[in-house]
Amino acid sequence: MSSCGNPSTESDALMSRRPKFDKSKHCVKCKVALGNIVIRHAVYCKECFFSLVAFKFRRALEPFVNAKPDGPRRTALKPAGNLLLGFSGGLGSTVLLDLVHRSYIANRKDELRRDGGKDHPRHDKVWKRVIVCYVELCDALPGRKDKISEVAEAVAQYEGVEFVPLRVQDAFDPLWWRCIYGEDAVSQLRINLENDELTSMLTNPLSTNPLESLRSYLSSLPTSTAVCSALHALTRVLLLHTAAETDSSHLLLGTSLTSLAISLIRGIGQGAGFNIEQEIQEEWLSDIRPPNFDSNDRANENQKGVRVIRPLRDVGLKECAFWAWWEKLRIVGEDRTGWPDSRQEIGGLTKDFIMGLEKDYPSTVSTIVRTCAKLSPRGEVSGKCVLCERPAQEGVQEWKSRISVRTTAQSVDATAPPLPAPLQADNASATRLASHLCYACHTTLTSRSARPPPPLYLSATKTSSTTLPVWVAPRIMRKVGEDEMRATVQEFLIEE
Amino acid sequence: MPPKTCALCSSARAILKRPKTGQQICKDCFFYVFETEVHNTITEAQLFKPGDRVAIGASGGKDSTVLAHVMKTLNDRYNYGLELLLLSIDEGITGYRDDSLETVKRNQEQYDMSLKILSYDELYGWTMDAIVAQIGKKNNCTFCGVFRRQALDRGAAILNVDHIVTGHNADDIAETVLMNIMRGDIARLGRCTSICTQGEDTIKRSKPFKYAYEKEIVMYAYFKKLDYFSTECIYSPDAYRGHARAFLKDLEAARPSAIIDIIHSGEAFEIKEVVKATQKIQQTCKRCGYMSSNELCKACTLLEGLERGMANAGVTDRARKKMDAEGPAPENLRIIPFFQQPAAPHRTDISIADTST
Repeated sequence: MSSCGNPSTESDALMSRRPKFDKSKHCVKCKVALGNIVIRHAVYCKECFFSLVAFKFRRALEPFVNAKPDGPRRTALKPAGNLLLGFSGGLGSTVLLDLVHRSYIANRKDELRRDGGKDHPRHDKVWKRVIVCYVELCDALPGRKDKISEVAEAVAQYEGVEFVPLRVQDAFDPLWWRCIYGEDAVSQLRINLENDELTSMLTNPLSTNPLESLRSYLSSLPTSTAVCSALHALTRVLLLHTAAETDSSHLLLGTSLTSLAISLIRGIGQGAGFNIEQEIQEEWLSDIRPPNFDSNDRANENQKGVRVIRPLRDVGLKECAFWAWWEKLRIVGEDRTGWPDSRQEIGGLTKDFIMGLEKDYPSTVSTIVRTCAKLSPRGEVSGKCVLCERPAQEGVQEWKSRISVRTTAQSVDATAPPLPAPLQADNASATRLASHLCYACHTTLTSRSARPPPPLYLSATKTSSTTLPVWVAPRIMRKVGEDEMRATVQEFLIEE
Repeated sequence: MPPKTCALCSSARAILKRPKTGQQICKDCFFYVFETEVHNTITEAQLFKPGDRVAIGASGGKDSTVLAHVMKTLNDRYNYGLELLLLSIDEGITGYRDDSLETVKRNQEQYDMSLKILSYDELYGWTMDAIVAQIGKKNNCTFCGVFRRQALDRGAAILNVDHIVTGHNADDIAETVLMNIMRGDIARLGRCTSICTQGEDTIKRSKPFKYAYEKEIVMYAYFKKLDYFSTECIYSPDAYRGHARAFLKDLEAARPSAIIDIIHSGEAFEIKEVVKATQKIQQTCKRCGYMSSNELCKACTLLEGLERGMANAGVTDRARKKMDAEGPAPENLRIIPFFQQPAAPHRTDISIADTST
């Protein structure tokens, strides 16, 4: 209940409490049964609730299943590849897995018409393979339990679904990367986090301890917000490359309406306004070629594009909770943000704020999502951010230096910190990573708070230089193959 | 522990930690970076032309007091060639605005600028005290906000100025970005991060402190020994804005760059073209000539409601329809004087840009 004045002295200061539902206690859809749930003032019975959620799920997914989005034609769903489902074990992804299984695996046989013979194309599965990928964070944050076996058990309850477990340290594992993209694409960068230009250079030999690299990376980050944001980005990019590896054309995430609103505001609070569109829906294309890639094969080219969809984006957290409750689904995951000693971070603050605001202003989350869906990026794209693999806006570094003057003429020479030892060996090959990053990732690596965050691990020592995820180096310093060179100059070559 | 030296000049002792960057710097370097950032904002957006008459919206609070000082400093240092004036709006809130106007009068003497004070009473025939007496504290910020915006434009027209600068700071803008997203106000979201807004019939209005943190503005006033008047308005604060402000302060505490990061986000997106096409086209109010998205501008609608004893007519659609159903406005209704855009004085057509490099 909101107040604009002092309720003890003014009778009109408090707004009167609104009724919980609009008209009657009967379901607004079938108008017969007594309601079981109120969704933003509308009453639904249990039966109509299930069909409503299933409808919202399909409405958000099916128009985007075909390579060329052309409307919700159920009978003509022809995706270009397999389906990867990003599973955290949380409420949203648990409901999503249930809905995917119910809509495209379990109920498929019942819905098929009997005419046309058993080999009629209509009887094909929409996705040949449905793969569930879980990224375990327990090694990254203190006080976490390893949940891989519990998640595997939960996924095993659904037939026709494959399970791929990953650990977040795979993002630093050259072996994992080599499995997807082959030997040529493997290289690693070390970065100096002492200056805003983020000097970086290739490491040789490759780091062979991914867990150590992950912990060194997270310990070097300047704020709790940066740690959470980095884990979020690592998980996302791991899922994208796994989608590429499994020939998946679609990556589904269990982001509900409520969590989408939170992630949109969190992104805006971290300077990711340029990527609002990708936060809602994203088309990702791996620009690292796998070893068996044939540049002349057009079908192969299409296979590598991944469409990231959030089919629960119209379904609120409360509806997800009711679905899970009525369907008796087991939620095996835990809250993935923060750790026991962490300071307040932007993601957690945003979540608290939005959840609190929704009590007084119940349409807040849908308003946020609807408003953000009306936005598009402004300005030119300078390329893809090498860390989060989303489009980066041009002129970000110039903008930053203009609005926050950090050097004066006399300070430039005096304050430039010396390069740490690992980065001094061969200055000629050092790269300024800042120009390859989007605003939000550069801010994650450089923006400090008044007090440093508490140490993440007792054993890990904070160093000024740290190894970056395996996908960064190949995109900055990649070996250009003969095929790629030929493709670039193709139109100028005269046929022999 | 030995005293830290300034991260910028490396010679003087650092006496403050910049809220915006976290750097430990000396007083002189703080003045230098604060003023240079405002100068960068002005030159990058090419806000002024030599010879422009610029009114500083002065309330006597911290932002406008520091703005007047910085504008005068930069005008002298970089030879902008601007004629600076002070323009104050007296909302008629006893015990609030009458005190802060004393600060503005002192600024007028210190900086030798002419001052125009325009009151709601003079322009609309209503003071905020009288409005609150009729409508209560609920929604009174709607009246005050709408009336102030138009009053500034009208004051600027009387002074025949080309440009109004206001003391909106980075915190205000970040808060407005968040609020407009959460309220779904797509039209305002599209323009709230613009440094300069100008309708066809209105005077240019800009925010040179767009990237200046509120804490740094207070720091600047503290070290420059500028005195200002500070109090919350005695009438109700906007509850929704209060939520957004508290949230922003939490974000700033978690990571100080959050304010500038939100502004960057706001600048990095725009309204989709298909959505823009559905927005109302701007026209002029048939009663007072001020810019409007309807036949009657918001100020005229609010004033008519007040005059006819149906104050909510300008606030809710239902009340507006009820007032319309009661027939047209009476002939003798008190109205706002017709708005006249000032005649553009002759001046050079070259913008002020950074010539230091």
